[in-house]
Amino acid sequence: MIGAAWRRLVRFLGSAVLATSLLVVVALWSVLGSLVPQGAASAAAVKTWALANPILEMLVGALGLHQAFASSLFLACVGLLGLSTALCAWQRTKVAIGKARTLRQAVLSDRASLTQSHDLEIVCDAAITGPEALAVASETFAHLGIKTKHRDDMLAAVSPAWTVWGSPVFHWALLALILVLMGGNLFRSQGLMGVAVDQTKADTPESYGTYHAGPLRGWLSASRGIRVDSFEPHYLSGGIDRGPTPTVSVLDAAGKVIMTQRVYPNMTLKSGSLTIYPDSFGLAVALSAVDSSGVETGRGILLVDFSAEATTATLPIEHLDLPDSAGNPVYRVEATVPLDIKGLVVSKRVPAVPTARLVLSSPDGTRLGTRIVGVGQLIELPGLGSRLRLDSVGYYARLSVVDDWSIPLLYAGLLAAMVGLTATAAVRQQIVLATVIEGPDGVKLAVKMRLWRNASSSRSEIENELTRALSGAEKGSTT
Amino acid sequence: MILEIVLMWAALTFYTAATAMYGVGVTFEKDLLTRRAVYASAAGVVFQAASLGVRWERLGHGPYLGFYEVASLLVFCVAALLVVVAWRNPRLSAAGIAVMPVAVLLLGGSMLASKAGLPVTAKLASYWLFIHVAFANLAFAAFAVSFGCAIAYVIRERSKSGKWVKRFEKLPAQDVLENSTVRFVLVGFLFWAIMIATGAIWANEAWGRYWSWDPIETWSLIVWIIYAVYLHVRFTLKWHGERLAWFAIVAMPLALFALIGIPLAFNTPHAGIGGLGKDL
Repeated sequence: MIGAAWRRLVRFLGSAVLATSLLVVVALWSVLGSLVPQGAASAAAVKTWALANPILEMLVGALGLHQAFASSLFLACVGLLGLSTALCAWQRTKVAIGKARTLRQAVLSDRASLTQSHDLEIVCDAAITGPEALAVASETFAHLGIKTKHRDDMLAAVSPAWTVWGSPVFHWALLALILVLMGGNLFRSQGLMGVAVDQTKADTPESYGTYHAGPLRGWLSASRGIRVDSFEPHYLSGGIDRGPTPTVSVLDAAGKVIMTQRVYPNMTLKSGSLTIYPDSFGLAVALSAVDSSGVETGRGILLVDFSAEATTATLPIEHLDLPDSAGNPVYRVEATVPLDIKGLVVSKRVPAVPTARLVLSSPDGTRLGTRIVGVGQLIELPGLGSRLRLDSVGYYARLSVVDDWSIPLLYAGLLAAMVGLTATAAVRQQIVLATVIEGPDGVKLAVKMRLWRNASSSRSEIENELTRALSGAEKGSTT
Repeated sequence: MILEIVLMWAALTFYTAATAMYGVGVTFEKDLLTRRAVYASAAGVVFQAASLGVRWERLGHGPYLGFYEVASLLVFCVAALLVVVAWRNPRLSAAGIAVMPVAVLLLGGSMLASKAGLPVTAKLASYWLFIHVAFANLAFAAFAVSFGCAIAYVIRERSKSGKWVKRFEKLPAQDVLENSTVRFVLVGFLFWAIMIATGAIWANEAWGRYWSWDPIETWSLIVWIIYAVYLHVRFTLKWHGERLAWFAIVAMPLALFALIGIPLAFNTPHAGIGGLGKDL
């Protein structure tokens, strides 16, 4: 009973109808997903669309179409498709084994076996002899795009046995790709990390501005650091402006440099499973705290983004807390950088004479004062017994950092799928065998055909053409 | 600039003439005219190749950027494949009656678009661009020829006893025509898959992510799935005949929409091969 139910389930999961239906569902879902903005409910594009289409939004929201490709329904369909692909691949493998056996047997077949077992017989004109019939048949096959070889009074066009493996290889590779994609996302981490020039950040979640990690990411975390060594606002190479280009180093746990290179589009840094790509850039304000005797007691870097809306054309993206000797925060410091203006355009570069606009607040956010300071200038920090000094204004690079071990496997899967698909699409799978049977009734051509895939002609056309060539009639007698 | 435009107009003229010759040749059973339509198509291909070559030389990059270049290259691939198919298998020449109007409309549309050259930006400066775009064009060309074969199949199927049977009598038998449609779909499916795979690899190299469900990526996948459904219904559910042909007819415009329509209809950072010069 359980066995029968299991077999029914397997048959259902491996059925072509289910596979086709799932493909249709995934395609339709993808169409719907492409028509509405994708993102969390808080995303600006999603909010705007929801306000503009309040009635549709009820349905779209209920279906989870704003996150169409991460929704449970979509993932369930893809998972089921993976299962269906596995069973389909298994069935195709069994079929391929059978076909390969048939092809090997066809290579070994001789005139006697073909005389006994064939698919059709064509009665030849009385004036045609056996050798002539074979010659005419060979020409007819050639006309239909089938190149035959003469072998022991036979014509043979038999594909090699490997040709039947294209479809199974493609389906197994598809399954591997689905598994690698799903598995890769479980372990993958991806985030944006702002790193100032000469700054090193540990590759830990706290170092990222935005960070997404798969649920099993912790299993694969490695200790390493990421440093930006230099930054070129315009990097020219090969006659092409590669845009703002940082030079990035990856360091191991001991601080030893593993790899250093410029990173720009189409030149990502790859170190093991790590890929680093430049996302954008901004300015970095380096500050230090000095005591009354001028000795440096602490340092910090504040990252600043360019902004078309802000009065100084820059916006702070982080703040610095200054604590007293007991460790209690006393001041909060935010920085922006007044930019140079050339003509009417704000220059998104480090100003010729860099300054920083420092905003001091209390820990609860009450603004205490604002000062614009130049490099090397100090501001007093009443109550702390120390002062704050602007050390430098430089660049920072916002790096897109992806840690995904599955990418080489993904490429291997894609390659295997393409090889399998190429064999499926381009290679013929066929058996064409023909010989003459000479008897009291005259000469007959016996033909055996298996036109499995990519044949240049069809069974009916071959039959028609051979009949026309050998007997002059439209169609011969078939067995 | 003037030379390349003149050459392109010459190509369009030959394609238009070929379209008319296919139409008249097939409709009025003028075999000679149908054969000459292939020569006219070939002449169009030569002029278009010259135009694209001159432009390539002038701009220093292939025809990948902007609607004019992309649509021109698509038409070039479609027409060239049709000529090769008709050359190798003259019985399939009549498929031009369905394929060439698509080519003429597409090239005519591109002639109305801006012909200004667009620079290769840092994100486009990759050899993957050439591979990715080349396979997109080859895939569409194969789908277009499968579309032509399927149209011829349906017309003949619908008038089994009518005049069109005679008009199409030079075509291969219906089952061979159907097999040809399937083979071109299969080849297009392979090329489309290579386009998606190379696009994913390139995206990973250029943007640090291989897939982001950008509308172009999504629609490329949708088209690929639609053709996967076609192949499934053909090979596993054993669909044959007119409904299979209709499937190929309906699917091809979706492929064209994915290549040309999506960058126009959607706000996508991925300019795609039909982009109107959006910076990648």
